[in-house]
Amino acid sequence: MVGGKMAATASIRERQTVALKRMLNFNVPHVKNSTGEPVWKVLIYDRFGQDIISPLLSVKELRDMGITLHLLLHSDRDPIPDVPAVYFVMPSEENIDRMCQDLRNQLYESYYLNFISAISRSKLEDIANAALAASAVTQVAKVFDQYLNFITLEDDMFVLCNQNKELVSYRAINRPDITDTEMETVMDTIVDSLFCFFVTLGAVPIIRCSKGTAAEMVAVKLDKKLRENLRDARNSLFTGDTLGAGQFSFQRPLLVLVDRNIDLATPLHHTWTYQALVHDVLDFHLNRVNLEESSGVENCPAGARPKRKNKKSYDLTPVDKFWRKHKGSPFPEVAESVQQELEDYRAQEDEVKRLKSIMGLEGEDEGAISMLSDNTAKLTSAVSSLPELLEKKRLIDLHTNVATAVLEHIKARKLDVYFEYEEKIMSKTTLDKSLLDIISDPDAGTPEDKMRLFLIYYISTQQAPSEADLEQYKKALTDAGCNLNPLQYIKQWNLLSRVMNTGSQFVMEGVKNLVLKQQNLPVTRILDNLMEMKSNPETDDYRYFDPKMLRGNDSSIPRNKNPFQEAIVFVVGGGNYIEYQNLVDYIKGKQGKHILYGCSELFNATQFMRQLSQLGQK
Amino acid sequence: MGRSSRGEESVAAYESRTAAVRRPRAEPFFPGCGLSAGPGTFLLPPPLPGGEVLSRNSPPAAGSAQLSPAADVGRPASVGLWGRVAMAVDITLLFRASVKTVKTRNKVLGVAVGGGVDGSRDELFRRSPRPKGDFSSRAREVISHIGKLKDFLLEHRKDYINAYSHIMSEYGRMTDTERDQIDQDAQIFMRTCSEAIQQLRAEAHKEIHSQQVKEHRTAVLDFIEDYLKRVCKLYSEQRAIRVKRVVDKKRLAFVGGMKEIEAQYLKDINDLSWNQNQVQRQENVHLLRKFQRPLPKTQKRSLPPRSIQKKLWLKRDLNSELWETAEVKTSYPQRKYRWQIEGKVVEISRLQEIFTEKVLQQEAEIDSIHQLVVGATENIKEGNEDIREAIKNNAGFRVWILFFLVMCSFSLLFLDWYDS
Repeated sequence: MVGGKMAATASIRERQTVALKRMLNFNVPHVKNSTGEPVWKVLIYDRFGQDIISPLLSVKELRDMGITLHLLLHSDRDPIPDVPAVYFVMPSEENIDRMCQDLRNQLYESYYLNFISAISRSKLEDIANAALAASAVTQVAKVFDQYLNFITLEDDMFVLCNQNKELVSYRAINRPDITDTEMETVMDTIVDSLFCFFVTLGAVPIIRCSKGTAAEMVAVKLDKKLRENLRDARNSLFTGDTLGAGQFSFQRPLLVLVDRNIDLATPLHHTWTYQALVHDVLDFHLNRVNLEESSGVENCPAGARPKRKNKKSYDLTPVDKFWRKHKGSPFPEVAESVQQELEDYRAQEDEVKRLKSIMGLEGEDEGAISMLSDNTAKLTSAVSSLPELLEKKRLIDLHTNVATAVLEHIKARKLDVYFEYEEKIMSKTTLDKSLLDIISDPDAGTPEDKMRLFLIYYISTQQAPSEADLEQYKKALTDAGCNLNPLQYIKQWNLLSRVMNTGSQFVMEGVKNLVLKQQNLPVTRILDNLMEMKSNPETDDYRYFDPKMLRGNDSSIPRNKNPFQEAIVFVVGGGNYIEYQNLVDYIKGKQGKHILYGCSELFNATQFMRQLSQLGQK
Repeated sequence: MGRSSRGEESVAAYESRTAAVRRPRAEPFFPGCGLSAGPGTFLLPPPLPGGEVLSRNSPPAAGSAQLSPAADVGRPASVGLWGRVAMAVDITLLFRASVKTVKTRNKVLGVAVGGGVDGSRDELFRRSPRPKGDFSSRAREVISHIGKLKDFLLEHRKDYINAYSHIMSEYGRMTDTERDQIDQDAQIFMRTCSEAIQQLRAEAHKEIHSQQVKEHRTAVLDFIEDYLKRVCKLYSEQRAIRVKRVVDKKRLAFVGGMKEIEAQYLKDINDLSWNQNQVQRQENVHLLRKFQRPLPKTQKRSLPPRSIQKKLWLKRDLNSELWETAEVKTSYPQRKYRWQIEGKVVEISRLQEIFTEKVLQQEAEIDSIHQLVVGATENIKEGNEDIREAIKNNAGFRVWILFFLVMCSFSLLFLDWYDS
């Protein structure tokens, strides 16, 4: 039973990878074969396709799939007349044009067209027209709608898009001057991606969302779209539900649509876990971290030459065991583990070296002939373990570099102080140091850090500080060099949602918070209420949608009274690794339950502050 | 003795029995070796019947070029496929339908596109045997050859590995000479294939200017090489198993052989048992001597002559036992070392293989480094030349300036003198 459930809930990452591999294998299920004959093809993708593929498949894996070249659609591509081409693109106007051009120019032998989301009939006809004109109809071997318009970053985390993320950003949704049609486009983009996500997941969710927010709009539209698809039984994308994995999914997943406005403090929060820290202080983007290293600092005499910066980028993938294990650990623990790993590695290296010395001795020592027997075996095992050892060394180097870079930031900005202080603010424990002291301390952090701290304070306090106090804070912040625009916006926002916010903060009171894991963030609490069917004033008025129900659109009464086994939390308006980590920690304690975390955009505090400041300007 | 003769007999019988079956199977494969007389010549064999090789690599749908869109409509939609995984949706049929729509629309509108509506069918037929690139067809040929090698190896794998086949089963046996033959042929064939790849590699970049095509071809050749490597691994695996089996067999034979030697020895002793001198002649093992010496003494002193015979019996038993242990003690370690060394040789050969691979990998790198170094040296030389020239120019320039200044001063002096 449990095994069945596990099979049914294969991680979204796995599912998407399988789908991609099948696509690359000309839409025939991919089988691993050690002595299969080599097949070759070229892969043509656009930026969207690139973003989807890059976190899931490495270049080496693409090679193993027989991809000789992977090229961007809108780059200069030379004709390669004797190779099949696999296209993986968005069905956008310019992409279609370019594909038609390829057909006319006879670039490749045959074409396997794959569209990231569903292509419209008229666009398909455009291609057909071009193919006819180029008399290349037979060369278009297959056309597929892939429904893969989302980016999976972790086993249980996804983002909608990366290319046009301005379109669905927090700012875009909360702009005061947004028109209805613009809002429609934003919602359509989000819903389309979410729909793709559920097609790939192969399940129809039960949707819950808060009333009167952007999330509600998404929920209504998604419900409509799923309903339409289910009604057309013949072409439904979810018929597989009843055939394959469906036997086990009596339990339908719960989709909780959360609006970012519910909790603005968390994305501004300084964090203490590895992955979230990397995302906060370094340039961490689609599972790749870019580091700027200053080299030769020690060597060159002071001021003789400007420091040369060289960029390095590392992939942090789930293949990396250390990352897998420690991405959610507090940072000091990570540093310790890196040290531990380094020692392990050294020990292994020493063993290999010792072997060398034994082999050297052997020539002189006649008596060692009996030892000779295991030596060759040892040597063989050493040689065969070398690649593994080298890989280990590479990973240790990687994490040493990343951790060092993070540590530098922590030291320079006193992030530990901020973290602790903010935790106290958020859990309403007594503060041992006044806020003003930190803000006016010139050594502690950047102006941005100070602004973040103040905003968290401002959002989290029950009653707004008096005007006089506020002026004082403002002065201190301006002295520290902060841009006050974000505060402007938060002030407006606060007036609207203070009531709701204080309600949600109420629960958290009195929680001892020095240990990060015991504290549930608002998003996690909402999920907990909805998943366990707990009654709570915070979530009781959440709307309820069941796309499988034929009628009963507007009921907000949940019919299903059983707790859910699977849930998807989707944050409309941007999420972050802090919430993700919090959810992962929450679900660890629950047996047999699964959570997926998704967001319309993944931003760190800096990016979020930028958006807030843009909003504040208006 | 009896066993080995039985073995010979059975092999002969096997030869006659299976010759008819096996030869024709092996024959079509071996001509490859004949071709190998001139390296790479088999790259250009007569076109294969039915283009079977070409369709091997070409993707499933593209290979069987659909003659008309209509023919494709009859194909059952692969509902089962995506129904099971519930993801991608095949809209190829929809695309074909769109093509038709566009076609009819064009007809109605009177637009002639792509050689006209009527001509489109002929067009399709004309186009379908597209001129295949020379490179890809040759690459596919090499692949098909490697594929044949693989099929051959897999076909004979069971017999090849099974070293005890002549004991265990009556069917599908293979003699060692045949195995050697396979080894030899496979090795020759592998060499030919890798030579062919090398040749292809050398020719791939000729008259190609596009960087992408070059990259593509390099990648394709890498794929083929990798494929060959995988097939070679198949071969070396089964060869390793064979060697191991042979070693095992020898070991087993030794254990059996030791028993035989012992039996022989016991028989000898039995024949000579009544003569003590002769018994003593056997005492080449000094361990024996040590035990024997005190024995006659005690006999002479205390035992009556009648009991000597009895004692001799006892002694003979003792002797044989001692002999046995001595034999084992002296020769067993030697044998053991020999096995160990044999095992080690196998392992060393494996290591050697790894090292060879690494060395070959590094060879390419070293070559490229060498090229770079040569280039760098050239650049440095050129730079030196330039610098020298610059110095020269500089010096010339200085001379001129000096000359100019001297002239200036002279003219000043001259003017001064003239003025005064």
